[in-house]
Amino acid sequence: MDLQLTEEQQALVAALQDIMQDHAELPQERRLSYAWHDAGLQTLLGESGFLDAAREIGPLEAALVVFEAGKGIAALDTIGCGLVAPLLLPDLRIEGPVALVDRRDLGKAIRNLSISGTLLVDCGEDVALLPLAGFAIDSVDSIFAFPYGRFAERPDLSSARRLPGAGAAMRQWWRVGIAAEMAGAADAAIAFTIDYVKQRHVFGRPVGSFQSVQHRLVQRHGWAKSLYYLTMKAAWSGAESDAAIAACFAQTGIQSLMFDLHQFHGGMGVTIEHLLHFWTYRIRALQAEAGGLSASALAIAERRWTEAGSEVDAVPARVAGL
Amino acid sequence: MLDDLNRLEPFRAEIRSWLAANLPSDWQQGMLGAAEADHVAFQKWWFAKLMEGGYGAPHWPKEWGGSGFSFAEQIVLYEEIARAGAPRLILYFIALHHVLGTLLHWGTEEQRRRHLPAVLAGDEIWCQGFSEPNAGSDLANLRARAERRGDHYVVNGQKTWSSNAHHARYCLLLARTDPDASKTKGISYFILDLQTPGVSLRPIKQMTGASHFNEIFLDDVLIPAENLIGPENGGWAVAQSTLSSERGLSVLELAERMRQGFGLLLDDARKVRSDGRLPYEDDEIRRRLVDVHSRIEALRLLVNQQLTSILKDEAIGVEPSMIKLYYSDLLRDFTELGVAVGGIDAQYLQAVLMGSANETGYWMQDYLYSWAWTISGGSSEIQRNIIAERGLGLPREPQARAA
Repeated sequence: MDLQLTEEQQALVAALQDIMQDHAELPQERRLSYAWHDAGLQTLLGESGFLDAAREIGPLEAALVVFEAGKGIAALDTIGCGLVAPLLLPDLRIEGPVALVDRRDLGKAIRNLSISGTLLVDCGEDVALLPLAGFAIDSVDSIFAFPYGRFAERPDLSSARRLPGAGAAMRQWWRVGIAAEMAGAADAAIAFTIDYVKQRHVFGRPVGSFQSVQHRLVQRHGWAKSLYYLTMKAAWSGAESDAAIAACFAQTGIQSLMFDLHQFHGGMGVTIEHLLHFWTYRIRALQAEAGGLSASALAIAERRWTEAGSEVDAVPARVAGL
Repeated sequence: MLDDLNRLEPFRAEIRSWLAANLPSDWQQGMLGAAEADHVAFQKWWFAKLMEGGYGAPHWPKEWGGSGFSFAEQIVLYEEIARAGAPRLILYFIALHHVLGTLLHWGTEEQRRRHLPAVLAGDEIWCQGFSEPNAGSDLANLRARAERRGDHYVVNGQKTWSSNAHHARYCLLLARTDPDASKTKGISYFILDLQTPGVSLRPIKQMTGASHFNEIFLDDVLIPAENLIGPENGGWAVAQSTLSSERGLSVLELAERMRQGFGLLLDDARKVRSDGRLPYEDDEIRRRLVDVHSRIEALRLLVNQQLTSILKDEAIGVEPSMIKLYYSDLLRDFTELGVAVGGIDAQYLQAVLMGSANETGYWMQDYLYSWAWTISGGSSEIQRNIIAERGLGLPREPQARAA
């Protein structure tokens, strides 16, 4: 596997970064908010074709889009509509954000439900596809930087379209998406913190000149880089265990990441009078998805250490075709 | 220490029955998401109740209206308050501990007479005006300027992280009176009446949704010269005695409250969640429960050791720093486990339980609030430096190369 991006991939990333740069400012009236969903940017990414990367180019490029968009300050849906839905339903073009949920969590607050037109429900073996028009959805106040919504009444899935046997694939790409967005948000949050500790002085020196700060930032940076590579490998290989490893790695490391980045902002780190939480709270929200850490870890064990042998030994069909 | 405390079993029983009779069992329902005014009213009411029972000012000398309890008696009292899950007197903390310690050691008789009885009457809430935007960990870098003009000092500058200043009438203020002296030498210590013209406040919005602390802006604020505490330019030494006035009892209360809070965690781990899962059956949750439980027991021993040294009048070294560091790390992991045990149900933005312990069972609030503990009262990085240099005798970190 070549970890360098091709020229085409670099061009894709550069074009997306240009757009993200134009939307890097937080609107003043949102300064003390917990959540900021940029509906205009969401539409723009759709219209510019970035959310079609999975269908038009491939899952690796789609994961790059999730990663780059994850660096932005606004909450967007790229995982659902840019990665999971097109890979599960290559022939069905769905407009707008797609929310994702485990069937057991249908009665709870669901990320992006209030902005989505479609919901994909992980029913274990199968997936149910539920168009959301006609459902009453209450928006839920949360600190987790995404718009959350809850069904006023638990929906009946019996009439929803079923995608037989698609459950494992949904969880797999959901995990790749989680890892990619967490990697992007972590990258941006670390850069934001590095900027802060260079400017902020204590004892006559920049905070970032102290080794206790430097060493921990370096560790967090190494974690974020590792997560990026694990994610890209999972998007490239199409192996379920790679997806679970990337998600598990992401979901395991965030406690130190969140704590150190907020800690290095000093007292400001426990307020919402800075921008850091727009990335870190999104990371925190994604930690619990697709079954969370426990399910990702079990998926790795099942896939890698079965009696039939390790998945690593087998070349997945998707890779063989590349 | 155990021997000393065993003698106090009858005293312990008295407190326990007093608390059973006087602490409203439903106080938490009333204070969950309570308005600021109701919170203040309840704190005042509870403080008055404690004073009536003789438990409101346990460490205050009798001549100033306190109970004059021995140190061992104070330990027993705080253990029982924690066990009962009584509200924390957070609005009176600065007044009961810092104002008393500072005025008894450095204040004039007039200052003591003016303020100490008023504190015990419940009329004076105090806050602290030490930190500034560029003087937190590096407190001696403070810039607020106080210039003597006749009978007054004229103060200009900005303070920050001032807890409960929006409810306070007075502030313990540090300001620079000699800008030419070296950092710690030119600082003076004042009593500031927050109703003086030129004082303005701005509450800071915390990640929990609450606003417990404030910025204080001082524009040509006049402070009468008689409000100087200790010598002019000698404020640094006064501040040191302010900060050492708690003598380990606050952390005893916190450790005992955490021990009680662990019961909440265990209860939640045994409850079937709305998704049908039972957290207690998850091996990872069991491992973390045991980890937190054993660390709480170790924390109690660390606190016990420090209190024993104080009882025996032994010199205290870096133990307070070690306990602060240990407690704040543990609180973070404890509350993080609470969020994990609570699952998705614990993730919603919740109302703040005003005047509560740090472990309320509203896990998201507890978790977010726990982050403040590794910053406030001296960040964990500063505590580690203190322990490394003064405790382990390691050399100081090299100064950065000249820029």
